[in-house]
Amino acid sequence: MSNRVVMLPAPGLDTEVMPVRGRVVKSKWSRDLLTFLMVFGPGLIVMVADNDAGAVSTYSQAGAQYGTHLLWIVLLLLPVTYFIQEMVVRLGIATGKGHAAMIYQRFGKWWGLFSLIDLEIVNFLTLVTEFAAIDLALNKLGVDPRIGVPLVAAGLMVIVLSGSYRRWERTVVFLCVLDLVWFAIAWTLRPPVAQIVRSSFVPSMPPGGLTPELMFIVVAIVGTTIAPWQLFFQQSCIADKRLRFADVKWARLDTFLGACITITVACCMMIAGNASRAHGFTFTDPAQMGADIGTFAGGFFRNAILLLMINAAVLGTTAISLSSAWAYGEVRRWPHSLQLPVRKAPGFYIVYLLCVAAAAGLVLIPGAPLQLIILGVQVLAGVMLPSAIIFLQLLLNDKELLDEHSNKPWNNWVNWTIIIVLFALSVILAAQVAAPKLFPVS
Amino acid sequence: MATMTNPMKVDEMHHFVVVHPLDDRPEEKVDTERLGPMPMTLSVRISLVSLRAYLVLMMLLVFYRVLDLAKVFGR
Repeated sequence: MSNRVVMLPAPGLDTEVMPVRGRVVKSKWSRDLLTFLMVFGPGLIVMVADNDAGAVSTYSQAGAQYGTHLLWIVLLLLPVTYFIQEMVVRLGIATGKGHAAMIYQRFGKWWGLFSLIDLEIVNFLTLVTEFAAIDLALNKLGVDPRIGVPLVAAGLMVIVLSGSYRRWERTVVFLCVLDLVWFAIAWTLRPPVAQIVRSSFVPSMPPGGLTPELMFIVVAIVGTTIAPWQLFFQQSCIADKRLRFADVKWARLDTFLGACITITVACCMMIAGNASRAHGFTFTDPAQMGADIGTFAGGFFRNAILLLMINAAVLGTTAISLSSAWAYGEVRRWPHSLQLPVRKAPGFYIVYLLCVAAAAGLVLIPGAPLQLIILGVQVLAGVMLPSAIIFLQLLLNDKELLDEHSNKPWNNWVNWTIIIVLFALSVILAAQVAAPKLFPVS
Repeated sequence: MATMTNPMKVDEMHHFVVVHPLDDRPEEKVDTERLGPMPMTLSVRISLVSLRAYLVLMMLLVFYRVLDLAKVFGR
């Protein structure tokens, strides 16, 4: 590949107005690879950031309480999460605008406002859980959270303030790659491979039957694997990166690879939870699980799990805060792009900084039941997801808006099935909350 | 516009130029401002209002459940 940088005039435009920077390659294969690498990013980031601190907690708790029994549910969520985010890819590329802007423009202010308020509430609560996890992990690592939490918050602010989308993306993709260490951890804990394969592909009920606790954790798993902020984040990210119609297939591949990585990493977290259970430990929180695993696997594993927990929280925080800032900027019609310096988009950056600073500050107030907040937020996200997907589904069937990029009949069948299943899960949750005796222990 | 499906050709047939989306000329997108609000039938409006009511109820139930697990109600 000859990666010489050339400056060429864009066809139909004066060179003085808009020069186009490109890289010269000699083969189609190189062209495709390089194009993919240039388009790659939003799909991977949205998926890996979804394995945030809450996800680490939920998956490892699921593994610690139910062993490998729930692996098939996580695997089932792979196509679900891909199909949902793929719709966002088409919507983002076709309109060049974020999800909040689309809801405002196509459904009106009233619905737009509701969607924005829902998003900002759940996002903020989720951010609190991210910093709660950072606080927990730092404590276990022997770092004073009163110093560590503000330092992490400052780092999170610095990575967006460069005024370059590419710089932010490269930093975050690097953090995403660090998440792959979960594979090494799961493998080194000597997992029961045959049992894992069976649990992944043969649906089974954990011993104890369908209890309220099991339903709660299943809804939490769904809520953490497919979260409303992801719809807003990826569409805004695609708009900010200015992906083109011709990039659709590469953006789909990016999203699919991201989905595969996030689901397999989620399985690794569950396997780590299962390992701590097999050694007789009771799950309290993922930081404690890391410490427990360290007692039989070694100090390296303890520190690796704690650092991965912080990495997951950092990824989640930057993505969720950006989804809030982009959405707010779109609705208020403020300049809202990572390509802009702070002085040109002050409102956008202030929302991001406020999200990070307020969540970090709240966590430093002592006495909050952090594990309960983490699980509660995942359930809340699971409950809110069906309505967010219904708006997405309506937008994707809007021929006036999307024309050839609108949903095909098979897309609609898949999506309505997903919506019905998600609704069923949230109705079961409502029923068990209102009448827990409907779900006796079998 | 230079993209991977319609690459600009340089010098000869087998040379392609790949352009990063941020370096490329802005692409024409759907004019969403001009479209205005989506036309919705009464049944769609009623469904969306029901969805909103359901969502508010579910949020309250989740908060109740979390407070219950936190033993706020003393059980």
